[in-house]
Amino acid sequence: MTPKTQLQRRNVWSGIGVALVAGWLLIWLIPRYGGSGMAFGMHPQRLATLGAWVMLACAATLAVVSFIRLKQQHAPLFQSIPLGALWYQVWPFLYVLLFIILAAYLPLTWLAPFIIGCLLALLGEHRWYVLLGASAIPTAALYLLTVHLMRIGVV
Amino acid sequence: MPELSAITSAFGDALTLHSIMVILGGVLLGYLVGVIPGLNRSVAIAIAIPLTFYMSAYAAIAFLIGLSKGTAAGSAVSAILLNTPGEPSSAATCLDGYPMASNGQPRKALKVGLLASVIGDLLSTLLLIVVVIPFASIALKFGPYELAAILIFALVFIAGMAGGSFLKGMAAGGMGVILGTVGLDPETGAMRFTFGYAELMEGVPILPLVIGTLALSEMFVQLEAYRRNKGGHSIHLANNPNDDLTFKEFKSTLPTIFKSTGVGAFVGALPGLGPSVGSFMAYGLAKRGAKDPDSFGKGNPNGIAAAEAADNAVIPASYIPLFGLGIPGSVSAALLVGAFMIHGIQVGPLMLRDHPQMLFTIFAGMIVASLIMLAIGWYGLRLFAKVTDVPQNIVIPVVIFLCLAGIQVQGYGTFGLLTVFGFAIFGYFLKKHDYSFVTFLVAFIVTPMLEMNLRQAVILSGGEISILLQRPIALVFVVATALLVIHLLWSSYRQYRQRRQTTA
Repeated sequence: MTPKTQLQRRNVWSGIGVALVAGWLLIWLIPRYGGSGMAFGMHPQRLATLGAWVMLACAATLAVVSFIRLKQQHAPLFQSIPLGALWYQVWPFLYVLLFIILAAYLPLTWLAPFIIGCLLALLGEHRWYVLLGASAIPTAALYLLTVHLMRIGVV
Repeated sequence: MPELSAITSAFGDALTLHSIMVILGGVLLGYLVGVIPGLNRSVAIAIAIPLTFYMSAYAAIAFLIGLSKGTAAGSAVSAILLNTPGEPSSAATCLDGYPMASNGQPRKALKVGLLASVIGDLLSTLLLIVVVIPFASIALKFGPYELAAILIFALVFIAGMAGGSFLKGMAAGGMGVILGTVGLDPETGAMRFTFGYAELMEGVPILPLVIGTLALSEMFVQLEAYRRNKGGHSIHLANNPNDDLTFKEFKSTLPTIFKSTGVGAFVGALPGLGPSVGSFMAYGLAKRGAKDPDSFGKGNPNGIAAAEAADNAVIPASYIPLFGLGIPGSVSAALLVGAFMIHGIQVGPLMLRDHPQMLFTIFAGMIVASLIMLAIGWYGLRLFAKVTDVPQNIVIPVVIFLCLAGIQVQGYGTFGLLTVFGFAIFGYFLKKHDYSFVTFLVAFIVTPMLEMNLRQAVILSGGEISILLQRPIALVFVVATALLVIHLLWSSYRQYRQRRQTTA
């Protein structure tokens, strides 16, 4: 399996994905939420529609061309994704999302040491002074900045 | 043309203690970020924008420009000592920098890189000042037809030249245009894609967009890469008496520095090409023109000088289309537009008319930044060499936290955090599938201007396309856009045919 073949396969799937999103924009989202009303010259939806058509045309062409190249190389369209690699891609997103949800209920200055410290530990750092320093310094900086902004009346 | 008093006054403003401290802070921070592998200019500017909210407009821009310049110079340090470029554009510096450092001359390699960076940057800044004022004066005479045609040409040009596939570039541009239309329609007052959120009425907030797509998504990519590559070992600066740059050695690199600055400035002035193209092009030219091309790749100081001079010359030159036409030609220029927008200033030729003093002060500040860069780089060599040892597993969590803190401090709340997260997923998709990020960002930034000019052009022409015949400049750009699209599609097809013949 050459990197070229993998690129073609990725192009097919990303092309299909982008084309589907563009189709959804054109059929459903732009007509409903793209704005309406009387306009001189250009309708409020015109530019968004044009952008969606450009997306659709380019992504569909990309998918078709990459599919043809993939077939010429007799390479399969599907490839099983190793679950370990997938998990490694996904967990950082879930980690950040968890803290974003927590930030809706707790101040970020309380969460800050845990955001940094837990991730550091997960990445294999076990020296306590590194964990402490890396977590405490940015937290203190955020706290001081917030206090300063509150004093000058910004926050 | 500006009066002498305006120029001296601009230098006076740029040389105040406050201004120097702001620029010094920007360059120092940029240097540190550039030295740390995995953090690049875009990430640095994106997470620094919230810091500039409470500065004056000039201080904010001077800080960000200093930061941008600092990263370009700092990235050479990790390229030379670690063989890992702090910025992709410093990859060409690794080719000769690391072998030279491995041969016991790390200090000499760093000093060649620094001097080439400063000279390239300074000369390119002077070129920017000389070119942009007459350029902007001409651009001020353009009407909506010309501006709309130029903006469309620039978007297609960037999509074609930004590297990777033209089709992906155009698709990314389409995404940027759609996002750029979010918010209140300026003519009809219609709500577009706001879904009832008051936060979206003025458009997609730029800060969550740039922090999410540039900084947070980059950290997700870095986390994935961290599994495979847990960092290398840096070369330490020893007290070797033979490891210092003599004036004679420096003089021998000057012709290469001047030529490479020209290459970098040319590449930078063209939107979309970016510093990587400039540095590799200059390196290739220096190697081809050298008497001993075989010594390149084995620690030739001219290799370092070529790559660094061009890399640093690209940045000021990329502001020529920005200040001249209002078109950001690179991600960092697009981020500067965002910073200008936050301070309520429309960047482009109108600055020459509405804020000339600020424009000249920014230019003067850029020259000051170049000189500060020299001082910081010269006296901080040992410190920056130590910073290359900072492991990525510390950098990544801190940057993720800074991304979230930057949004929270601006008062965007949970909406902002969720928006930044959404854009991080989007940016991750763009990066993993190689969709041109610069085209997306430039399209997003210029869409309001494009829409306004297109709308005015349509109203003024009454829908008659033949009006273009009376507007030769607009017509030239319309024809050039059509030819460019045909050329890019044809060259893609030709490459495909060649590949098929090779494999057959």
